[in-house]
Amino acid sequence: MVDSALSRPGQRDRYESKIAQIDWLFVGLLCCLTGIGILLLYSVGGMKWDPWAYKQLIFFCVCLVMMCALALVDLRIWLMGAYWFYGGSLLLLIAVEAVGDVRMGAQRWLSLGPLSFQPSEFMKLAIVLALARFYHECSAKDANLSWKLLIPAAMIGVPATLVMHQPDLGTAVLISLTGASVMILAGLNWKIIAAAAVGAVITVPLAFQYVLHDYQKKRILTFLNPEGDPSGDGYHILQSKIAMGSGGLLGKGLGLGSQSQLNFLPEKHTDFIMAAVCEELGFAGGFVIFLLYALIILMALRMASLSHSHFGRLAAAGATATFALYVLINGAMVMGLFPVVGVPMPLVSYGGSAMLMVMTGFGLVLGVKVHRYQELPRQASIFQRFE
Amino acid sequence: MAEPSLVFTDVNERQGMFTRRIFLMGGLVAFGMFALTGRLAHLQIVQGGKYKKLSAANQYNFRLITPPRGNIYDRNGKLIAGNRPSFRVMIETNEVKNIDDTLDQVSYVLPQTLASRRRILRDINQNQRSVPTIIAGDLSWEDFSKVSLYANDIPGVVADMDEMRAYYYGGAFSHVVGYVSKVNQKDLDNEKNASETDFNLLHHPSFRIGKTGIERAFDKDLRGVAGGKKVEVDARGKVVAQDDEGSIEPVPGKDIVLTLDADIQQRAIEVFGQDSGSCVMMDIHTGEVLCMTSSPGFDPNLFVSGISSDAYKLLHDYDRVPLLDKALSGTYPPGSTFKTLVALAALENGYDPKTTHTCNGVFPFGNHVFHCDSHHGTLDLHGAIVTSCDVYFYQCALSVGPDKIAALARKFGLGQIFDIGIEGQKAGVVPDTAWKRAYFDGSKPWRPKDPKWQPGETPSMGIGQGFTNVNALQNCVAVSRLANGRKAVLPRLVKSVGGKPYKETEFEDLAADPNHIAFVRAAMADVVTSGTAAGFAKLDLGPIMMAGKTGTAQSHTIKSGSRATLHLEWEKRDHAWFVAFAPADAPKYAMSVIVQHGGWGSSSAAPKAREIMRMALLKDPEIQKRIIGVNPADLVDKPLSDVPLPEDDAGAAPPPPDTLPTST
Repeated sequence: MVDSALSRPGQRDRYESKIAQIDWLFVGLLCCLTGIGILLLYSVGGMKWDPWAYKQLIFFCVCLVMMCALALVDLRIWLMGAYWFYGGSLLLLIAVEAVGDVRMGAQRWLSLGPLSFQPSEFMKLAIVLALARFYHECSAKDANLSWKLLIPAAMIGVPATLVMHQPDLGTAVLISLTGASVMILAGLNWKIIAAAAVGAVITVPLAFQYVLHDYQKKRILTFLNPEGDPSGDGYHILQSKIAMGSGGLLGKGLGLGSQSQLNFLPEKHTDFIMAAVCEELGFAGGFVIFLLYALIILMALRMASLSHSHFGRLAAAGATATFALYVLINGAMVMGLFPVVGVPMPLVSYGGSAMLMVMTGFGLVLGVKVHRYQELPRQASIFQRFE
Repeated sequence: MAEPSLVFTDVNERQGMFTRRIFLMGGLVAFGMFALTGRLAHLQIVQGGKYKKLSAANQYNFRLITPPRGNIYDRNGKLIAGNRPSFRVMIETNEVKNIDDTLDQVSYVLPQTLASRRRILRDINQNQRSVPTIIAGDLSWEDFSKVSLYANDIPGVVADMDEMRAYYYGGAFSHVVGYVSKVNQKDLDNEKNASETDFNLLHHPSFRIGKTGIERAFDKDLRGVAGGKKVEVDARGKVVAQDDEGSIEPVPGKDIVLTLDADIQQRAIEVFGQDSGSCVMMDIHTGEVLCMTSSPGFDPNLFVSGISSDAYKLLHDYDRVPLLDKALSGTYPPGSTFKTLVALAALENGYDPKTTHTCNGVFPFGNHVFHCDSHHGTLDLHGAIVTSCDVYFYQCALSVGPDKIAALARKFGLGQIFDIGIEGQKAGVVPDTAWKRAYFDGSKPWRPKDPKWQPGETPSMGIGQGFTNVNALQNCVAVSRLANGRKAVLPRLVKSVGGKPYKETEFEDLAADPNHIAFVRAAMADVVTSGTAAGFAKLDLGPIMMAGKTGTAQSHTIKSGSRATLHLEWEKRDHAWFVAFAPADAPKYAMSVIVQHGGWGSSSAAPKAREIMRMALLKDPEIQKRIIGVNPADLVDKPLSDVPLPEDDAGAAPPPPDTLPTST
């Protein structure tokens, strides 16, 4: 299939042309990364497929099919659904507030029959889609500096506050930063960015004092001085650093990492799986994983920039930004460069919910590439009508 | 679209902005990834060594293996203190979800744990979570079987076997050998500079430290060196694997052989019964202490696993003070046993033994009247020793003077502390003018300023009263030196430590005229045959006779008149002494016996001394040979007809050695 064929409307809507347009190299990289993750889940599970590795494999297969299916979805459907998805997610977050399950001291889970899920996960993608649609309909001037920017600010602020209240500091930060990166990409004025940065520096100590819960404060204090209490809260960070450091250049070998196998490493299959990777596979393994992440992120950003529609560009870039933030925050966290917040390493950490959202995001990114020549009408927004 | 050109520029502007910023974002991500990789390299390559060590410290643990404590044997190789297996039940705290429930389950099998629940919970709190806590130790075999049967059904409860110190002779050696007990803060303070292995051993819950006697004095030799078992543990401290190559074997403690004879020691304790006092016996040639008891004793086994406070209070408050070592730490006026040394001091200083004094029961001196317990009539020195006449010795002492008596008494070991390896000896007092000047300096209320030796203090000293104070070991050394005659014998308690002989010293010559010593010894022999101890110290061992000297020392000031104190309440009665050596003609064993508040030395102490001395003599093959005229060792392989039998027992079968004939 020739690339130029895509510019012909009749041709590009055929499914075989669309499937051929999926970036299969990108999909291959995702498979490699998840494959290493499953290998490590097999190892930290005591060299057994049970209980994590086989479940993760099944999740991934299901998500992979779903991602490819989503890549074929017309961008107009994404555009139309954006606000509905956002609104639905927001309602679910409010529902969590009212009837959610309390697990491990936080009210994050919503049960629906046998399924239970965290609505805050949906919000990570919903905020990207909703903001992309907002900016799609917004002029460059307004995106730069205008009172209309209060709308995206509220769109970010409301769910972030709700998630913060659960309390889930990690996800709240992630939602805020994702939203902020979409706003910046859409052309936010540098003065506002600078002002926000300065404002953050001022408000962070205040927020620390009055908004954060005790356990959240403790985590941050521990991060600042992990050796202060090595058997208590500094334990996680210290053990993670010991695990990584003791891996050396080539690692202790699969299934032979004493820190992860003997449970010194906390949350070894979820948030701290990178420490297990680096312990058992060494710097070589860690380097390969970070290289794969870098390639995936840069390829996704390139796909975003190919799009002819502003919505496509922003949605793909926003989804990629979420992913990149996950990687950077988790990486910094396990290496003791960032406080311990509950942010998993996407695709490598065990967990269905997070994988579902990440793969949905990449479905969108692939879809943006497949539909890159599609022009989307810039519908008149409610504001334009009154101008 | 009303203004397509405008929209078109707008679209271009938006795209341009996005493209610029997406590059920026890509750059930021790339920078972030680069920084993370750099940090990873720093952790794993630059600091890798440091973290490898920390990881190994997490993974491997050295579990202390306590070394078996050295055994303590008597001179004949009989085990006095050893280790016996002890069954115990432990709780592994980090395996247990609800400690109270688990302890309830255990108490169905072992009801006795209900009573000690508070102690168990306290121990659980004090121990590290990875260290198991002992719920019940030293179980009977029945209890252990029951627990072993059910332990598998109670998670976190383990039944296993340990070693525990055992004292096989109960109270017989309670003071000399001492006991071990749990380490307390004071013990830890004493060992501030302990090596790491010793430090860990001291903190091990099943380790016991020597608290008194040999166990304390030789604790470092007895305890050995702890070993370590290298184990792989998980984060909860649970052992997942063992590394036998990395393990260090413990070094067992050194065995100690004492000079004591368990048979004699036990006989002495038996003979004393509940009487309070001490018996010390020595070999007069080697100085080896064969017997050193303090009665009543106590069971040292009680202290090993921790004595209950009620039991301790009983021991502590008993007026016969079982916890005091009366052989070393108790000092008493020597009473008339001191007269042997007064007599010798007199002879050594040119006193004529033919000098006579007449005793009619009283001796007025200055403005004081000294008493004697009888009217002995006219006596020379020999007669005065035999009848233990106080009036004679008042005057004898006055003619010699306190300084010369004290000098000789010191030469014979009184007032001395001997290096026998264990602590607790009190020096006592051998008074003279210099001592009095130094002691009564007015520094303490009970030491008023009174530096001058009063003439009236010499007669008291002459009969072993007044300031004179000795312990049983010193009195035994004095008799040993008298019996030896040539050497200043020194007592020895420890024969060997870990197979190596312990401190063998050459004895110095005893600077005393052998004729004078022979004079005193002859008088002592007559004490037993016709003197104060006649009828109380007859050995009934054929030609073997004992020589000795009684002593009845005032423990309370009594008014003039009757000297008998047996009608008084126990703690006001006199101390009864008997010092002796045997055989009288060729001395080998010397001993001193004190019965605290026993009344008369002759009727209270001498019979005890006889029984104990008989045990020593009967055990001695040479003495046996003298008694029955044949070495019993030679009897073993010879037909009965070849054995010459004692004349008056001719025709009867030769008795076994331990029921030797008792008449000549």
